[in-house]
Amino acid sequence: MKILIKSSLLTLALLTTMSSNLVANENKVGDPINGVQVWADVCARCHNVRPPEDFSKRAWEYSMNHMRIRAGLTGQETRDILAFLRDSKTQSDAQ
Amino acid sequence: MRTRLSSLALSTFIALCAANLSANDVDMNQLQKDLEQLKAKTSSMEAQLESNSKSGFQLAGYAAFDFKSAQDGNAEFSGVKFAPIFHAKYGDIFQFEGEIEFTTDTAGETVIELEYAAGTIFLNDYMGLQLGKFMSPLGQFVQNQHPSWINKLPSAPLGFGHDGAAPTSYVGAALRGGLPKVAGLRHNYALFVANAPTFGQAADGDTVVAVTGKTSTNGAQLNVGGRYALNPIGGMEIGISGAYGKIAEQLTATTIIGGSVADQLINRDYAAYGADFMYNINSFDIKAEYIQQDIGENDLSQLVGGTWKAVYAQFSYQFGSVPLEPVIRYSKYSNPEAEKSQIAAGLNYLFANNLIVKIAYESTNNDTTSTTSDSVQAQLAFGF
Repeated sequence: MKILIKSSLLTLALLTTMSSNLVANENKVGDPINGVQVWADVCARCHNVRPPEDFSKRAWEYSMNHMRIRAGLTGQETRDILAFLRDSKTQSDAQ
Repeated sequence: MRTRLSSLALSTFIALCAANLSANDVDMNQLQKDLEQLKAKTSSMEAQLESNSKSGFQLAGYAAFDFKSAQDGNAEFSGVKFAPIFHAKYGDIFQFEGEIEFTTDTAGETVIELEYAAGTIFLNDYMGLQLGKFMSPLGQFVQNQHPSWINKLPSAPLGFGHDGAAPTSYVGAALRGGLPKVAGLRHNYALFVANAPTFGQAADGDTVVAVTGKTSTNGAQLNVGGRYALNPIGGMEIGISGAYGKIAEQLTATTIIGGSVADQLINRDYAAYGADFMYNINSFDIKAEYIQQDIGENDLSQLVGGTWKAVYAQFSYQFGSVPLEPVIRYSKYSNPEAEKSQIAAGLNYLFANNLIVKIAYESTNNDTTSTTSDSVQAQLAFGF
């Protein structure tokens, strides 16, 4: 029981520390320049990199949310990678 | 006069041809412009459609087909796996993800397992609250590399499969995410509270620590745990993990000591520790992990507690000129009853990054009985 109480207190402290931005993160803009760097650093760490053309722009949103959870990405890093993938898709679709 | 007329006619013909060619040029240019406009319009409509629909889902997943030829057994098609993963979201606020694993067993029956099914509310940029059944955040193999198209060999390292030394999944709640950079370094965390794992005797008589998510604590208290990982440089991650609490055991007529009350639930002390390392640079990939679970004793049970531990180290290289990837892995697993070690060497052919044929040779040494068993395994894995 003690360990549960300690963990709960720790969690509360963590939540309080971060509560200054305790809102959902919609409508923020991603930076594709940072996105390509994070994409290169993070994805290949666990698995073969999936190129932008593997999924539709819409499908990348689900995959990136999944990877945000699994790879421990911040919301901004997720948006940055998504911006890079979308830009790459737009360019490849235009060709 | 004749010559003049001929010259005039020829000049007129050439002029007409040139005018016609020019008219064609204008049409082509116009067509090109129209096409560009249409493309822009389509992109704009697509973007509008995408931004307008907050809810939706995606079907992803993987499939694998195995062949195995063991030194002391027959050559056989040893595995069929289909694991669809369902992703659904509501804006950037909520994500649900669930994986169902369908396999065919040796009797031809279909085995269905809910690997995970969890919803995550993204509280802010640095924290998601995950509820449900989730893959164990301890270490990295179970959580991130168990899908066949990701695992670079046809099998899991010793002790990192189901009922080994590495916890598989939990039912509970977790807080997780990436943290703000410190001194320019990325880092991430996962903290969880979950139902207790169980301890007992399997049908084959082996003592098993079953850390797979259950919807009951079976009389034991909730467990707490977590993982913290640091990325010192791009492509590298170093993680440490731990979990603490109680583990539940259901006494049976064969495991109870000095009593007649079978089916009684008892508790034991439980702790898990782990460390993991991943580094990918250029075409080199290194992965290593250690995990240990300590099970306390209980005077009412004949089953002996102790330490269940496993370690593996893996190295692979992807050639740039040909789609080939040699892999070598060492793994070792021990518990109070047995100790095994294994060397696996494989070669992968990548049709694509997510479509891979693997061939591997595995030599497993049973250190308890001093016997060795070798096998050749092949697998076709596809991630979608």
